[in-house]
Amino acid sequence: MADAATYAQPILSPRAVGLGVYGASVKDSRDFVANPSGLVGMRDWDFYATTYLPASSGGSGGFVFGGFGAGKRFFEDHALAAQYTPGALLEFVLPSTMTVQGVGIAAERTVTYAEPVAAAYAYRFSDRFSVGVEGRLRTETINDPRYQFVDSTIVSFANESSASTWFLDAALAWQPSTGLTLSAVGRNLANIESGELPAEFQSLSLPMNRSLEVAAAYDFSPAFRLTAGAGSNKYGGIGGEWSPGLGLAFRGGMYLSSVESPALYAIGVSAGWVIGPVEIDAGFLHFTDQEGRKGSTSTADFDVSAIHNISMNAYTTDRLLLSAKVVLGKVRESLARIVGVEIVSAVYPSAYQALAYRPIGKVRVQNVSDKPMQVRASFYIDRLMDAPTESPAVVIAPRDEADIPLTAVFNESVKSVSTVTVREGNVYVSATPAEEYDDRLQAKVLIHGKNDWDGDVFSLRYFVTPDDPEVIRYSRDILLARKDSLVNDPSELQLFRKAALMFDAFAGKLLYVNDPKQSADFVQYPAETLTIRGGDCDDMTVCFSSLLNSVGIGTAFVDILPPGRPQDGHIFLLFDTGLAPRHASHIAENPKRYVVRKNKSGFETVWIPVESTVITRGFAAAWAEGARQYFENVEVGLGLVKGWVRIVDVY
Amino acid sequence: MKQLGFIICVLACASASMRAQDIVVQRLQGEVAVRHGVTEVWTHVAVGDVLRPDDTMKTGKKGTAVLTAPLRSNGAVKRITLPPEVIVDLSDVRELSQEELMLKLTMERVRASSYQWKNDDLHIPNAAVVHGSDQSGAASLTDNDPQSGTLQWNGARVLYDNGFYSTCALKSMELFRLYPAIGVKFENRLMAAEALEKASLHGEALSEYTAMLQMEGVTSTQQATVKERIAELRKQ
Repeated sequence: MADAATYAQPILSPRAVGLGVYGASVKDSRDFVANPSGLVGMRDWDFYATTYLPASSGGSGGFVFGGFGAGKRFFEDHALAAQYTPGALLEFVLPSTMTVQGVGIAAERTVTYAEPVAAAYAYRFSDRFSVGVEGRLRTETINDPRYQFVDSTIVSFANESSASTWFLDAALAWQPSTGLTLSAVGRNLANIESGELPAEFQSLSLPMNRSLEVAAAYDFSPAFRLTAGAGSNKYGGIGGEWSPGLGLAFRGGMYLSSVESPALYAIGVSAGWVIGPVEIDAGFLHFTDQEGRKGSTSTADFDVSAIHNISMNAYTTDRLLLSAKVVLGKVRESLARIVGVEIVSAVYPSAYQALAYRPIGKVRVQNVSDKPMQVRASFYIDRLMDAPTESPAVVIAPRDEADIPLTAVFNESVKSVSTVTVREGNVYVSATPAEEYDDRLQAKVLIHGKNDWDGDVFSLRYFVTPDDPEVIRYSRDILLARKDSLVNDPSELQLFRKAALMFDAFAGKLLYVNDPKQSADFVQYPAETLTIRGGDCDDMTVCFSSLLNSVGIGTAFVDILPPGRPQDGHIFLLFDTGLAPRHASHIAENPKRYVVRKNKSGFETVWIPVESTVITRGFAAAWAEGARQYFENVEVGLGLVKGWVRIVDVY
Repeated sequence: MKQLGFIICVLACASASMRAQDIVVQRLQGEVAVRHGVTEVWTHVAVGDVLRPDDTMKTGKKGTAVLTAPLRSNGAVKRITLPPEVIVDLSDVRELSQEELMLKLTMERVRASSYQWKNDDLHIPNAAVVHGSDQSGAASLTDNDPQSGTLQWNGARVLYDNGFYSTCALKSMELFRLYPAIGVKFENRLMAAEALEKASLHGEALSEYTAMLQMEGVTSTQQATVKERIAELRKQ
C-alpha cells in the first residue's frame, strides 16, 4: 500500500510469551531483560538462541534469527549475562511523494528501532532476595534518501541519521514466603545518549519515559505456578505454568491493558521440554485485535509515542517462536533435595569451638533418586567461617528422608561480634563426591555478642582463658611479689598456698559489682575483669579460675540451681590442691571444709570450695562460705546426685 | 485467760514439734565438745543444747554423751550414747531411705570419677601446663593424724551399733580414703561390709567381701568368715 507503514518485530522467548507476565519467573539468561535479578537462578553456564516466524509474512519470509545470549553464575551469589539480538528491531517504511525539478518521485523513508545488545548483572543477598541491573542499547536510524537530477537521470543519495542510547534498568526479586516470588523492575532509570536525530526527525524518536513493572508468581505445588503483573504504563497480564513431569512444561497467558481495546488484547501459549542440559521451547503469540498488526498500517495511524516497548507494542504481530537453551557446567540432575533446615542452637562466640562438635542444627534431606545415596551436608556462614563445615555422610534409601546434623567451625572473627546479630547460614547437600552440591538453602542463625552466655555452666568454662597474656602476667606478678612466703611451705602444699595468696591478692584489688547488663547472661572475660577491677559472681568465678589455671591449678565450677527456686541459682569454684586425701588434715581438720574427688590425672585429691561473692572478706571467708554451701547443697541436700547441683571441670 | 492458755499450748506444741526433729543433748560426762558447721573450733556443749545436722561431736578419754535423735522410720526418739574417744558427724545420725542411700553411693562414684568430658564436646587444653612437681618446698607431709582417724572410726562404730548402717557404710568409705591405715585392718573392713549388708546393699557388700579376700595378711579363720558371708549373700 502506498500509504502503508511496514515493520519487523523484535523477539521474546517462548517461555516468556507463554506466561504472559514474566518478571517474577525469570530464572536464567533467557529474556533476562524482563527482570535481570532472576539471573541468579542459573546453575552455571547458560547459552541460548531464539528464532521466530512472523505471521505477517504468512510464512513466506521464513524464520527470523532472533538472537543469542550467554550467562554465567559465579562466586555463588553473582551472575552476569549478555545478549546479542539482531532480530530485536522495528522497521517502518514510510512512503512519501516528492517533486524534483517539477518531476514527482515516489520516495521511501525507512525508520528502524533496534535493541541489539543488552547486558546485566545480578547479586543474590539471600535465597529469598536478589537484585539486578541491566543496560540496554537502543538505536534509532532514519534513512531519508535525497534525489537529484544527474545528467537527466534521477539519482538517489543516501541520507542516514542515527542516534543511540544506553538505558539503565534496575530490578529486584523477593521471596517473602515459600512459593511466592515478588518482583519489581524500574525502566529507563538513567540513560546515556550518543548522537542525536536532526530536528526534522525528532518527532520519530521513541519515548524514554520511566516506568515501573511489578509482578508476582506463586507455586501452588512443584507442578503448578500462577503469575500476574502490571506496569505503570497500564499494561499487565496473568499466566500459568504446568509441569506434569518428564521435563515437560505447558504454559498459557493473557495480556491485559486498560488502554487497549479489547482489554484482553493478546494470548500466548507455549510448551517446553527439558532433556538433560538442553531445553527446547515453542510458543505462539496471538493478538485478539489484528488491526494494525498485519505488517502494514495506515501512515495516519503510525504513532511513535505508542511504542514504549520494542518487544510488545501496537505493531507487534502474531508469531511462532522457537528457542533452545543449553546449560553447561553444573548440569547434572539433583540427587538429593533439602526438605527443611532447623537451627537448634544460637552461636555464642565464647563457646564457638564447641559447635565444631555439637550440632548447630540439622537438615532434613530427601533422596530424590531411585538408588540409595550417601548424602553429605555442609554449613557455611560468610566471613565468620573460613570454609563450609561438612558433616559425616548419611546413607538414605531411595525416596526416603533423613536428618543430617550440621556442625560449624568458626574462625576468630566470630569473637569480634559485639552484639546480637542475625546472619544467613548456607546449607548445602551433596550426594556425590563432586564439588558441586545438589541443593542449597539458607537459614537464619542468631549470633550472640562475645560476652553473652547461654546460662549453661558447661559453656561458662569457655570464658576461662588461662593463656591470656594479661591473666598470666597478673598471676605471675602476684606470686613473684609473695615468693618469700612460699619458700618454707612443703611442696605438697604449694598449690594450696599459691591459690590462697592469689585469692587474697585478687580480693584486695577487685570489687564485687553487677555486670554492665545486670543480668546473668553477660560474662566478662578475665582480662576485662582485671582491667575494670570488678565483676559479678560469674565474672569473679571465671577470672579466679583463669588465674589458678594459669599457674597449673585445676578448677571446677559448682553450679547450684535449687529445685523450684531458680532465682537462687549460683555458681562458685572448686580448686584442686593436688594434695592426697591422706594429707588433707594439713589443710583442714574438718572434712566438711574440703572435697575429695578425682583430678584430671585420675588421682583422688583434696579440692577446696571458694565463694567469690565474699571476695572482699578474703580467702578464709570465701573458703568457709564455699565449704558451707557445698556441704549444705551436696552432702546434705544431695543436689549432685539429684541433678540440681553440677560440677564442671575446667582444666 | 483462756486466750493466754491457748497461746501457751500452741507454743508448747510448736516447741515439741521442733525438738522432735532435732538432736538434743540429754546427758554429758567428762570432756565433750561440739564443732559447728565448717569451722575448725571445738566448743563447749551443754545438756539441753539442740544441735544442727552439720555439727560434729567429740568425746574425750573419759567423756560420754547421751543424745536423742528422731527416727524417721517410725517417729520414735532414739537415745544414742557416745562412748569415750569418738567423733560423730550428726548428719550421719539419721536413717537414710534406700533411695537416699543409693543416691549417696552414686555421689561417691560421681565424686570419685569426676566429670567426664562429653565425647562430642571440645576439650580446651590448659596452656599453663606444669611438668613435674615443685620440689623446692620442705620435706614431705605426714599422713593425717591417726588419732583423729581412730576417733572418727570409733564414731562409725557408734553408728553401726545404733543401727545407722547406711551412714556407717558411707562414713567407712570416707575414712578408708582419708586414713588408709584404717582400711587395711580386717575387722574394720568387715564392719563396713556388714554395714553394707545390713543396709540391704547386697551387691556392694558382696564386692567388699570379695575384695577382703585379696587383702594381705588375712588369716585362714578370717577367710573362712568372709567366705561364709559370701555364701550366705549368694543364697539371698
